[in-house]
Amino acid sequence: MTQDRDEVFVEMTRSICPVCKEVIDGEVNIRHDQVFLRKRCAEHGEFEARVYGDAQMYVESMRFNKPGTLPLRTQTEVSEGCPKDCGLCPEHKQHACLGIIEVNTGCNLDCPICFADSGSPRENGPDGYSITLEQCATMLDAFVAAEGEPEVVMFSGGEPTIHPHVLGMIDLAQERPIRAVNLNTNGIRLASDRRFVAELGRRNRPGRPVNVYLQFDGLEAQTHLAIRGRDLRETKQRALDNCAEAGLTVTLVAAIEKDVNEHEIGAIVRHGLGHPAVRSIAFQPVTHSGRHVEFDPLTRLTNSDVLHAIAAQLPQWFRADDFFPVPCCFPTCRSITYLITQGHPDDPDFGLVPIPRLLQVEDHLDYVSNRVVPDHDIREALEKLWSASAFIGTATNDERLTQVAAALDCADACGVNLPEAVTAITDIAFMIVVQDFQDPYTLNVRQLKKCCVEEITPDGRLIPFCAYNSVGYREEVREQMSGVAVAPVVPNAHQLQPILAATPYGSKRSSS
Amino acid sequence: MTVDPDVAKACCVTSYSSDLVSLLLGESYHPGGLDLTRRLLTLLECTPGQRLLDVASGRGTTALMAAAEYGAQVEGLDLARANVALAAGAASARGLADRVRFRTGDAECLPFADASFDVVLCECALCTFPDKPTATRELARVVAPGGRVGITDITADRDRLPEELTSVAAWVACVADARPTAEYLDLLTDAGLVIRSSEDHRAAVERMVAQISARLDLLRMTSRARLEELGLDVDRARPVLEAARRAVEDGVVGYSLIVAEKPCA
Repeated sequence: MTQDRDEVFVEMTRSICPVCKEVIDGEVNIRHDQVFLRKRCAEHGEFEARVYGDAQMYVESMRFNKPGTLPLRTQTEVSEGCPKDCGLCPEHKQHACLGIIEVNTGCNLDCPICFADSGSPRENGPDGYSITLEQCATMLDAFVAAEGEPEVVMFSGGEPTIHPHVLGMIDLAQERPIRAVNLNTNGIRLASDRRFVAELGRRNRPGRPVNVYLQFDGLEAQTHLAIRGRDLRETKQRALDNCAEAGLTVTLVAAIEKDVNEHEIGAIVRHGLGHPAVRSIAFQPVTHSGRHVEFDPLTRLTNSDVLHAIAAQLPQWFRADDFFPVPCCFPTCRSITYLITQGHPDDPDFGLVPIPRLLQVEDHLDYVSNRVVPDHDIREALEKLWSASAFIGTATNDERLTQVAAALDCADACGVNLPEAVTAITDIAFMIVVQDFQDPYTLNVRQLKKCCVEEITPDGRLIPFCAYNSVGYREEVREQMSGVAVAPVVPNAHQLQPILAATPYGSKRSSS
Repeated sequence: MTVDPDVAKACCVTSYSSDLVSLLLGESYHPGGLDLTRRLLTLLECTPGQRLLDVASGRGTTALMAAAEYGAQVEGLDLARANVALAAGAASARGLADRVRFRTGDAECLPFADASFDVVLCECALCTFPDKPTATRELARVVAPGGRVGITDITADRDRLPEELTSVAAWVACVADARPTAEYLDLLTDAGLVIRSSEDHRAAVERMVAQISARLDLLRMTSRARLEELGLDVDRARPVLEAARRAVEDGVVGYSLIVAEKPCA
């Protein structure tokens, strides 16, 4: 008797072996309404990972796929093929919406979870690196050469605030035609060094905003201990308060790990809505690159899980379909919603309206079936808002929000001038982003080719973030910069335990 | 519930073209937006050069799409003069004035000769017409043999409708005189048409209720005084919307897309 397969085969792609990083074929299948990527390495066997928790959403998101834009300049040639030629190579499908500069590998924390494998110097001596101001200038110049007027650069690490020249680096960015700066930090220095916060505040000015991208995984001590190794609740609160005082806007950035802090997603949103400094929240299912706790790739969290958790934990405010895929990158990588809010969530009169409920976003951002765009200006505005370069408080974001608010108007016949009523939209708008970065298990070349979040390397390449963390580029750069050999990192997955050995940084490598 | 048909019709026209309704519904007057309209036009096999009539064409969004994306020669008909003017302006602005015309007129007495169109459609409007058999017969009359008639509409199981949704004010939301899908099918069949397909699109109306709630919330936050000036008591509107949301969830209210064909001879 014949038997049916228990899955629907939807696409063929390329990926890498999570152990040896060789490029191998991969296939995407839908099983039990979820999406899985499966691949086989001739030497290391078969691997499978859950890449999207809601098959329906996955399939429907495909139409939110915008044609890419060519960068002004690429940095490499095509020779071995994706993902070995980063980058960017001329075959990359998208320019860089966001450039990341990691200024160091050192950190004032040693978190159990860190895709960058950062931390305090290990027993075997100093083996990390810090970039110099000159190197930073070269990296920024490479970004400007590729993009002309980049929307936003993010300083990261390591922990960038412990780099002695981080303020000088922000100055270098602001001297260039880069519209906005983001500082990615754990907040320890922001909590204790108010002079430093004031210096950041001084640099945060109209047309040249500085936004703080604050690691914030939850409100429970358990969550902090599991993900950061220390209870940082008071530190985070002080950092937030100091930012508010200095007029800095903050994005709360939550790494979400299965069975650790999934249940805190709603509480994080509520906390953000209630703090004056917070204007956006970014949820990131934990990337199983670098250092992380042992995990099962078949049950890992994905974007749709976070979206459903937001709707389930805050049903009074959200539905999963308040979020829309971001069309500039591959649409399954990132989803965003914007809210118009008023008051504090604890007030009885608190108001919250997701902007996608006010207009049919898909009428504008559907690039497959729409041959007639209802309104080009609105599409353009929504494209900028639903983008990896979208950060609250940038001039571009303000402009586009205002434009969308104008689109909510009901023609001249209407008695209320809605745009006027929401003139203050740029002050009351709030953004929630959900971004699932790829790791050696989930890497799919189809997505990677359109990645628009780039790591800028000291030698002036722009490497897609997920390639940087999965394929071996991070190890290569660290080795070059530190002069110490760095072993290729292998994910700390259940099935790989027998072949794993520890690296000096806390991540795992292959023992063979 | 009994409502004088003329009162209802007048109420409906006033509502649909009133500031308050445009404020709450925005420019898209029917659930499902462009996606569902596109689905309807595709199922109607609308092709370049075909003559298409859009009954209750509102501000012309669907008519313009039929002309621009499907190449149809379009007539749009609406009871409200203001809508006709706005729609005609939009057609000119888009350079489609030679392919789309708008005029005022009553769906129960269409100002067109028999068999004038290849495709006739009516989105989210039949539910508001007091004399549905006449309106349906009119749709069937003006379509040519072999031509198609498509409707999308609110469906309602009237015996189970919550009280909040049966008042005259609720005509605005098309619910109070909406019928179950089976009844729409009967109306079309009785008018001499043959049903080709019928689809359930309840998610579209669910979303529309959410959209109205959201606009109401936004207005409450930004211009409460003006809303009240326009005669809307925010605190009374909310239970109505909540009742609508529950009705959709319980399957009492839904949204159907029906395509029928006029047999050849």
